[in-house]
Amino acid sequence: MSSATQLVEHFFRHEHGRIIAALTSRMGTFNLQIIEDAVQTAMSRALSTWPRRGLPDNPSAWLYRCAANEALDSLRHQAMASRKLALQAESVTTNLPDEISEIDESVGDETLRLLFLCCHDSIPAESRVAFALRIVGGFSISEIAAGLLTTPANIEKRLTRAKCKLQELREELVELNNQAVAQRLESVQATIYLIFNEGYAASSGDSPIRQDLCEEAIRLSRMLTVHPLCAQPTSSALLSLLLLHSARMSERLDSSGSITLLADQDRSHWNWHRVREAMDWMEHSASGDRLSRYHIECAIAWEHCRAREFADTDWSIIVRLYRSLQERFASPAVRLNLAIAVSYAENVKAGLALLLQLSDQDRRVLRPWWDCAMAQLLARDQQSQAAVSHWCDALALATNSAQRALIEAQLKIQRNTAGVNVCEGIE
Amino acid sequence: MINLKGSEMPKYLLIYRDGLDTPQPSPEEIQQFLAMWEGWFKKFPQQIVDPGDGLLPTGRVLKAGGVVADGPYVEAKEMIGGFTVVSAASYEEAIEVAKECPIAMVGGAIEIREFAGFV
Repeated sequence: MSSATQLVEHFFRHEHGRIIAALTSRMGTFNLQIIEDAVQTAMSRALSTWPRRGLPDNPSAWLYRCAANEALDSLRHQAMASRKLALQAESVTTNLPDEISEIDESVGDETLRLLFLCCHDSIPAESRVAFALRIVGGFSISEIAAGLLTTPANIEKRLTRAKCKLQELREELVELNNQAVAQRLESVQATIYLIFNEGYAASSGDSPIRQDLCEEAIRLSRMLTVHPLCAQPTSSALLSLLLLHSARMSERLDSSGSITLLADQDRSHWNWHRVREAMDWMEHSASGDRLSRYHIECAIAWEHCRAREFADTDWSIIVRLYRSLQERFASPAVRLNLAIAVSYAENVKAGLALLLQLSDQDRRVLRPWWDCAMAQLLARDQQSQAAVSHWCDALALATNSAQRALIEAQLKIQRNTAGVNVCEGIE
Repeated sequence: MINLKGSEMPKYLLIYRDGLDTPQPSPEEIQQFLAMWEGWFKKFPQQIVDPGDGLLPTGRVLKAGGVVADGPYVEAKEMIGGFTVVSAASYEEAIEVAKECPIAMVGGAIEIREFAGFV
């Protein structure tokens, strides 16, 4: 009798997307709700049956068959009310493969097709992320809410909106042909990148779900790199970038869940296996005529990984790369990072000058990182009191506990250096 | 069928009332629960004489006079979600087993009833 411990990690989560993809492509996207419910029922049934009887020989096939039967039953129930639906149920029955083995070969395709569906132009970007995590990734609403630092009600709203939109458009899973890929690959890549960023940006130690978001983004971008049409240089660049960032992830958060600055990280603890894999994909990405933001960001991440110590970082190359990003894909974060890179490549005052050029709008978007950057540069420029005051501003703007912990630690160090306490009132 | 296993020990019926706030566990949670159930069955092979079954949420109620209604007519929290048969020397021992049942560990209630032994 095989046991649950033999199931691969995240088995149910990944099967969720697989089965939904397989069933929607046969029963139609307009039946998405029925299919989602059927998959949920199949999984609950597995939970009651498997521990008592042991795992079936082929757990994937078991779940698929159970979900397919359940979905057909629901369709037939609905069909009693309408003859048209009845005909539909019959045609679906004849179209459904009996075994998941029949769909195995195309399953990577089907998951990707589902992902392409989630990234329809008329679905807002923030809903795409939630929708992809729910439908393709098999995350629950409360897991998504925890990962995206928002409320379950908010996620529910985004999902409902996305589903209504699809219903309205009568959008079907498109064949992943040249045209579909040309139209949507960029948006799919952007969604994967957002999923990763959500997990990476503001990780808090008590929420392992955020690490899962990063792994999910890596899984999806891997799928792109093995699909004949999606395996473009930009997809390789994206995967390489995500691998490089994730290689540094465990060192980024210490055991108490607070952020460790790049300069203070122990580089021997980075995941060098991942860095090597990233290098392979970087090679793949170095072809074609499109220079995506992923290419440039990947080159920057690589420069950081290449340096043996923080002090060995080649900042002049990094400045060049950020300038190139700024020309093509300008954003507040790029402007901030360029200023920091310049402060190392040239001198602190040049970096400060660039930081001060950022607009109020930029500073608002970057909260609390603009103040953090100001504080650090001022400290390096021996302006301790001004640095303390920016750390205090940053603390007031922090959006989660990991940020707060980082800022408080830096503030403490800075206060000791400054020998004064200029902002007691803030605590 | 209840497996008698030929023991003279008293038997207890564990009746599960889920009462869960999250009626729909996520795929990830299902995988965790699966491991918990398996671990529980493995930990008490002597006591758990019949792993029992789950019960579907809808049923029928046969009332006096042969009237059949859709049921069960209890509150969601009171609904019986499943059962297991345990053999134990005493209520205390049965409770020790029940305490480690996944239903108890995720906040559901377990009613424990001793078999009368009429048969």
